[in-house]
Amino acid sequence: MTEEEQLDRTWGPGSGPFRWFAEVSHKHVGMRYIVTAFVFLIAGGIEAALMRWQLAKPENNFVSPDMYNQLFTMHGTTMMFLFAVPMMEGMAIYFVPLMIGTRDVAFPKLNVYGYFIYLFGGLFLYTMFFINAGPDAGWFSYVPLSGPQFAPGKRVDTWAQMITFTEMSGLVVAVEIIVTVFKMRAPGMSLNRIPLFVWSMLVISFMIIFAMPAVMLDSGFLALDRLISTHFFNRAEGGDPILYQHLFWFFGHPEVYIIFIPGLGFMSSILTTFTRRRIFGYPVMVASLVFTGFMGFGLWVHHMFATGLPQLGQSFFTVASMMIAIPTGVQIFCWIVTIWRGALRIRTPVLYVFGFFIVFIIGGLTGLFVASVPMDWQLHDTYFVVAHLHYVLIGGALFPLFGAFYYWFPKWSGRMYSEKLGTISFWLLLIGFNTAFFPMHILGLMGMPRRVYTYMPQLRWGSLNALATAGAAVIALSVLTMIINFRRSWKRGALAGPNPWGADTLEWSTPSPIPRYNFLRLPTVAGPNALWDAAPDQPHVVGVSTTTREVLVTRVLDAEPEHREELPTHSLWPFIVAVMTAIGLIGSIFYAWYFTIGLGITGAALIGWFLEEAVKHSRKDPPVEARA
Amino acid sequence: MSERVIDVSALELEATDSRALLWWGNLSMMVIEGTMFAMLIGTYLYLRTANLDWPPPTVIKPDLTLPTVNLLIMFASCIPMLVADRAAKRGHATTVRVCFAIAVLAGIAILTIRSIVVANLGYKWSDHAYGSFVWTALGFHTMHTLAATGETALLLIYSLVRPVVKKNLLDFRCTAVYWYFIVLMWLPFYVIIYIAPFLGRKERF
Repeated sequence: MTEEEQLDRTWGPGSGPFRWFAEVSHKHVGMRYIVTAFVFLIAGGIEAALMRWQLAKPENNFVSPDMYNQLFTMHGTTMMFLFAVPMMEGMAIYFVPLMIGTRDVAFPKLNVYGYFIYLFGGLFLYTMFFINAGPDAGWFSYVPLSGPQFAPGKRVDTWAQMITFTEMSGLVVAVEIIVTVFKMRAPGMSLNRIPLFVWSMLVISFMIIFAMPAVMLDSGFLALDRLISTHFFNRAEGGDPILYQHLFWFFGHPEVYIIFIPGLGFMSSILTTFTRRRIFGYPVMVASLVFTGFMGFGLWVHHMFATGLPQLGQSFFTVASMMIAIPTGVQIFCWIVTIWRGALRIRTPVLYVFGFFIVFIIGGLTGLFVASVPMDWQLHDTYFVVAHLHYVLIGGALFPLFGAFYYWFPKWSGRMYSEKLGTISFWLLLIGFNTAFFPMHILGLMGMPRRVYTYMPQLRWGSLNALATAGAAVIALSVLTMIINFRRSWKRGALAGPNPWGADTLEWSTPSPIPRYNFLRLPTVAGPNALWDAAPDQPHVVGVSTTTREVLVTRVLDAEPEHREELPTHSLWPFIVAVMTAIGLIGSIFYAWYFTIGLGITGAALIGWFLEEAVKHSRKDPPVEARA
Repeated sequence: MSERVIDVSALELEATDSRALLWWGNLSMMVIEGTMFAMLIGTYLYLRTANLDWPPPTVIKPDLTLPTVNLLIMFASCIPMLVADRAAKRGHATTVRVCFAIAVLAGIAILTIRSIVVANLGYKWSDHAYGSFVWTALGFHTMHTLAATGETALLLIYSLVRPVVKKNLLDFRCTAVYWYFIVLMWLPFYVIIYIAPFLGRKERF
């Protein structure tokens, strides 16, 4: 058997009818995240389209007010929790092990568990929505509106529990990325040689670890208040509704950066490749990413300027919010210098990078408006904020993400996409996006509030709203063009070869599509641009078993080889444990004791998870003590 | 043969210390849960500033005997865990088994005393926000103690029926470290639940 066949068998799938549920490979799990999140993007987009249709003319009655409430809640919840964060996590799970030159993530079984928990959370939310029990208190479900007094029924409980699902999954991915990046890099990839994409994923993983517990606790308090009558947010019994907002935005603002920092990583990857220049100011870029990560935790109060906080707090958070412009500005200037000094080739991913520059900078500028307290009081809860947040999130995350799709499409499929259709989809998105969202700035200044299901004709908001709706249709067309492009090219595109762009990161040294074992020869790294800096006879690693899923573990700082570890193979247990967790979490909104039941059955299933691996090793590893 | 290679076949297979992947995974989990505990303490402090009477006047001062005994058992239980940790590092499975047995007994004692304390609090989670906090904090920590005790018991039983291999030594050590974490996390809660009510009610102004 050749080395390839041996590796293919070792890292190959399991057998039997349930092998789909038992698959643990990081590329499969990553791609599942990406596909699932994309489906949720479409779902969230359809909800947005329905809202735009309702608002296209005054006093429209296309959807009922109650339905409208559910739509905007579902749209926000889907886009933040089921699309944006899981999508970035999926890209990280897929590409981080490839970019650092290893064969899987640190904990492959845990990784699958994270995916299924996310999937179950999303399915649960949409099941409830389709039986007319979708949440209707906004994507942040403020109390007291979402509390037991004003939101009876199961709608907000569904929202609160969905948070627990998705945040657990987010925490799982964060742990995977941190441990994988710290301990599994190819020899020679010291911290100052990690690709910026990997740095961005590392920074958001740390942000996830410190931010997501806050929202889990917060939604947990909300569920407790609603289900077993605690009083965390009940003013009459010593609780405080503002506490909800503090805990929510302590998570919520970092969440925005968790969504947009990966976008910066995509940007750096794309620009390095298409300018054929190493990124200008690598240390400053890394420092800016880390600084943004830290600053992200010091801004949350700017979402709460209208709650009557002390003046000192308002001034402090205004200044902190302005400061975020520094690291962002530094990065944008570094990219501009990189483009300036390089030989830029314009391809579809680069167009999306330009889209980022235009859209995100406009969003950043309106950010300066709303970061200052007097302006914020005027603009709070108007369409100006809707415009601002979409400029930042779509500009900062969606444009780079779509660019990244085009950039890595040849790696995924082994084929080239159509440049012509790609260019068309870019222009449609840029034009459609600005047509849809720019008028909202003006509508906001004219006083149109957020989350209203209709408005009177004499307010004269009709024509701008109709324009916005037309823009939304163009955005839909752009996404459709992209899907058609990818679908046609997947089978019929020109063959891409391993590295069609002449890129610098390690994933491009593998064949396209990537074999199950990632690298036939485990690479070593000689500089920050792994493939460009490699010597003609760059050494590779030997001595890692090909018959077990063995990986090389290296030191945190300098990535010197340390020891070898065997990773687990495919297993059904993560799926079983995820099902048990889901039973507990979903059941508990109907009957509180299900929480305890869920803990019990999850614990029992975890024993199975442990025993499977332990027994396997006890059969083949040498015992540490002589048997009596 | 001019091909340059780095041969790693001589490197150790599996590590039992801070170099291992699982060690870092365990560390990350403790950071996540530590953040959760910190947020709970933040909640307490926030609600304290938001209320003139905290705890509410209806709450009688807690009896310190049982909680303090429990705290001492917790600290004492770290000693067998520390011994087990050291023994696992050297590969002495028998010492680990003995120490884990003591730790499981300690865990059961801690959980029993905790249930008695909770049953005699004198207020429910639904009485006031203070009650909500105390019950949630106690519940959250008890859940973790239960998990740590269960994990230790599982490893103990497993090590009695199956041969112990190198990977298990790492499991033992991570369990011990997690145990220290659970004990350490209780300390601030002991202070705010049992000591803070004696520090005087807030001044009225």
